This record gives sequence, C-alpha cells and structure tokens, in this order.
Amino acid sequence: MLKVENLHASVGEKDILRGINLTVKAGEVHAIMGPNGSGKSTLASVLAGNEKFTVTQGSVEFMGEDLLPMPIEERSRKGLFLGFQYPVEIPGVSMANFMKMAVNEQRKARGEEPLSAAEYLRMMKEKSAIVELDSKLTSRAVNEGFSGGEKKKNEIFQMAMLDPKLAILDETDSGLDIDALRIVATGVTRLHTNENATVVITHYQRLLDYIVPDYVHVLYKGRIIYTGDKTLALRLEKEGYDWLINNYEE
Amino acid sequence: MKSRLLDIMDAQYLPKGDITESGRWFYTATQSRNITIGCGAKVELLIFDSDRFEADCDEECEATIDIRLEGGAELKLVHVITHDSVTLLNIDLRGDAQCRVTEVMLGASTLKVTSSLMGSNAHFDLNGLFVLVGEQRGSVEVDVNHLHAETTSRTLFKGVASGVARGKFSGMILVEPDAQRILAEQTSRNIVLNEAQILTEPQLEIYADDVKCSHGATVGQLDSDAILYMRQRGLSLEDAKRMQVEGFVSDVVMHAAIERLMEPLQGLLSEKFKQL
Ligand SMILES: Nc1ncnc2c1ncn2[C@@H]1O[C@H](COP(=O)(O)OP(=O)(O)O)[C@@H](O)[C@H]1O
Ligand SMILES: [Mg+2]
Repeated sequence: MLKVENLHASVGEKDILRGINLTVKAGEVHAIMGPNGSGKSTLASVLAGNEKFTVTQGSVEFMGEDLLPMPIEERSRKGLFLGFQYPVEIPGVSMANFMKMAVNEQRKARGEEPLSAAEYLRMMKEKSAIVELDSKLTSRAVNEGFSGGEKKKNEIFQMAMLDPKLAILDETDSGLDIDALRIVATGVTRLHTNENATVVITHYQRLLDYIVPDYVHVLYKGRIIYTGDKTLALRLEKEGYDWLINNYEE
Repeated sequence: MKSRLLDIMDAQYLPKGDITESGRWFYTATQSRNITIGCGAKVELLIFDSDRFEADCDEECEATIDIRLEGGAELKLVHVITHDSVTLLNIDLRGDAQCRVTEVMLGASTLKVTSSLMGSNAHFDLNGLFVLVGEQRGSVEVDVNHLHAETTSRTLFKGVASGVARGKFSGMILVEPDAQRILAEQTSRNIVLNEAQILTEPQLEIYADDVKCSHGATVGQLDSDAILYMRQRGLSLEDAKRMQVEGFVSDVVMHAAIERLMEPLQGLLSEKFKQL
C-alpha cells in the first residue's frame, strides 16, 4: 500500500528527514515512536503533501502510484488521511458543511454521485457515534471552541466519514484523559480492517494496548533507527530511548 | 438570486409619505428617498438595487436615503448593493428608537452610512460586509454620532478583497460634549487575497468623559493552516479558500437584521464568491 524509500526532506536549509524507509501493507498497524523533534510530524506532513517541506531525495509509492507529484487534495481523494497533531480551527465554517464537501469530493474521485441530504445525515449520525462525538459539535464551526479531547475525537470522526485506505494519526492520543483515550483508541480499532492500514505516531504505550501494532519503529534524527514488534513499545516505555540512541550514535 | 430576496421578503413596495404603522416593505435604491418612521412603529425594510437598476443608470448612480426614526420606532433594515453605485444612507434616531442594519455591498461601490443618535436610549446596530474582486474599487464609511446622553451603538464591518481589488473602510465614532453614559463599539475586520489591498481607518472623537468606546481594526490573510487542513480532507484549493472566506463573513449574514433573508443573502454571497 505504501512504500517509502530513502526519503529525504527539508525545510529551508534544514534537513529533517534523512533517509526514511518504510513499507506498509494492507491490514497492518504500524507505530512510530521517537523523542520530540525526531521528525515524526514532518514525515506525516510530507506524506500528506504539505508544501512547506521539500523532498530532496527518495520516492514514495502509494496504492501503486507515485505519490510525490500529487497535490494534497489528490492524495486525500486517493485514500490518504492525516489525523493532525494540532487540528485547526476554522471560524464560521460549519463542521457539517465542511465534511459534506469532503465526503462528496471523495465520492466524485471514485465516480460516485454526491450523497443526498438524508443519506448524509444518516452517515454523520452513524460515524459520530463511533467516537461518541456530541452531535452538537457537528453543527458548530470546525474545531472552534472544541476541547482538546473533542478535537482528537473529531479527527477520528472525520477519518470514519472518509474511510481512508491509509490513516496516519499524529499523536492522536496526546493530551487525552483515560476516557477520551479509550473512546478514540476503540474508534480507531473499529475502523481498522484487512483492506486498510493505520500508522500511529505516539509517545505512549497506553494507546497500543488498544491498537496492537504489527511493527513499532523508532524515528530519531530523521531516520528509522530501529524496528521491532509490540514488545518494543513496552520496553521504550520502561527504559526510554537512551539505549537505542547510544547504540545508534556509536 | 435577487428576485429570491424579494420573494422571501414577501413585502409591499414602500409607499410615499410617513410610515406610521408597523409592517414590512421593500424599496429599490434607484432614487433618493426620505423615509420617516412614526412613533412606536416596527418596520422591516429591504432596500436593494433591482435588476432594472443597471438600465436606469449607465453612468455612476448616486442616491441619498434619509431615514428618520421617531421616538420608540424600530427599524430592521437590510440594504443590498450589487451594482457599482454611490449611496449615502443617513439614519436619525430619536429617543428609544432602535435600528438594526445589515449592509451587503457586492459592487465596486461607495457607501456612506451616517447615524445620529438624538435621544436617550436610542440604539444603532450595524453588521456589514463588502466583497471586491478583480479590479474593483470600493469604499465604505460609517459615521456614528452620539449627540445625546445614554445612547448606544455597535458596528461590525467585514471586508474581503481578491485579485488586485482595492477596498477602504473608514469609521468614526463621535461623542458630543454633553452626551454622557455612552456605549459605542466599532470593529473592522478584513481579509485580503492575492494582490488585493484593504485600508482601514477607525477613528474616535470623544468630547464627553463618561463614555465607554472601543474600536478595533484588522487586515489579515487567509489562514494557510486551515487551507492545508481542508485540502487534506479532499477539498480543492479554490474550495478551501472560498469556504474560509464564506466562514469569515458568515456571522454578518447569520445575524441578518431580517432573519428570513439569511438564506437568500447567503445565496447572493455564494454567487459572488465564485469570482474570488
Ligand atoms: N516548519 C518548520 N520550520 C523549521 N523547522 C521545522 C519545521 N517543522 C519542523 N521543524 C524541525 O524539524 C524537526 C522535526 O520536527 P517534527 O517533525 O515536528 O518532530 P516530532 O514530530 O518528531 O516531534 C524539529 O527540529 C523541528 O524544529
Ligand atoms: Mg510531532
């Protein structure tokens, strides 16, 4: 589904990604961990197509196509979803209108007719239930005045609405209390199938109790320096990153 | 879309002479008019430039509309300008009179609104927006004169300009020496796209001391993070920009002085925003 080879990216003069290799197949869950400033969000942004970053080397294949020349919206319509570490507030733009447009863009890309108003309402109701998102929130402006937990639930709600092939969730578990974490994590687990794939960027083992990863990668200074199975996350939680980083730097 | 405005307004053409009873009217802004709303009358009024307007004035059209609210009168006014024109709108309020205005200016026009509060407990409230595209030039001036003690006013004007358009907003709150216990607020918020520019000049002239006045003005650009966010969900760059601009002005329309006109106003705006 996703094949990243020797990916280098920079912003201005600064090299942030320095040779990422990552292969994700349908049905898999990958966790990406690593100290702050390692380049995790940058990797997510570059895959999503954020033009702030320049790809200087390497290739990315997504669903059999060259991803890098595609603009952001095209990547989205092809089934790539990014759950933002910091979801953006958009004053005056109602959540319901925004999602309706987004859903219909995805449908158009698949050659499907736009949803009728009734179908859309039914879909919103069904999907917001997955993350127990208060129905009042969908009539409000996008993320405006949402609490931290509501913003993260709202990301997963949007993921449910768009039904992506590949979801990259950037610290969707940060800043959540135990209840919100359970709801968000259960939501993500429910949305996971054999046909799609999930990449979770996280600092915490606790999310991985719900979403059991097939692979855990450690990103450090723009490279994946170590890949293990789910037990790696446990060890990182206990022992931190030092043992890996020290190895790496020697 | 404009005929929709009329359909939904469902009102009679404004008759000549004073309005002494409550009711709902419309009026096409082709000629200057003098409108007096009698004591205690509650009036809803739609003023707009009809499609005949273009034919009427191939040169620049100029109209002066004088409105006078007698004691306790209430006016809810929606004023829509879609053609290039010059409009002077003067609104005088006697004691206890209440006026709520929504201005929607979509032409390369000049608009000057002057409101004079001349009696206790008079209140003037204005929500407005202008949208300029391409090479359009437009300017809006709002002068609120607090000539009497215990009067209040609030103005919010939003401006959007794209292409190489030039827009200007000037605001003035004047408080006369004996006009104590005044509350006045004026806000100008603007977004510019591309090479467009908007100039905003809010001013205060206050000669009394027991006064609460505030004014603020901003000119900003579209939020690139918001655009990125929307595009990540599949919206095209154009749609993402348009949605954000519509969101920016939405509160003006949502709080339209005549609630039933919300939807057709939204429609008019959506049409205009296709040209952004
Ligand atoms: N827009 C930017 N401009 C300059 N430096 C950036 C920018 N975005 C990220 N960086 C830098 O790139 C590095 C990686 O950041 P990031 O990808 O956010 O890390 P992580 O998500 O792993 O905490 C950091 O040193 C950060 O300061
Ligand atoms: Mg990050």
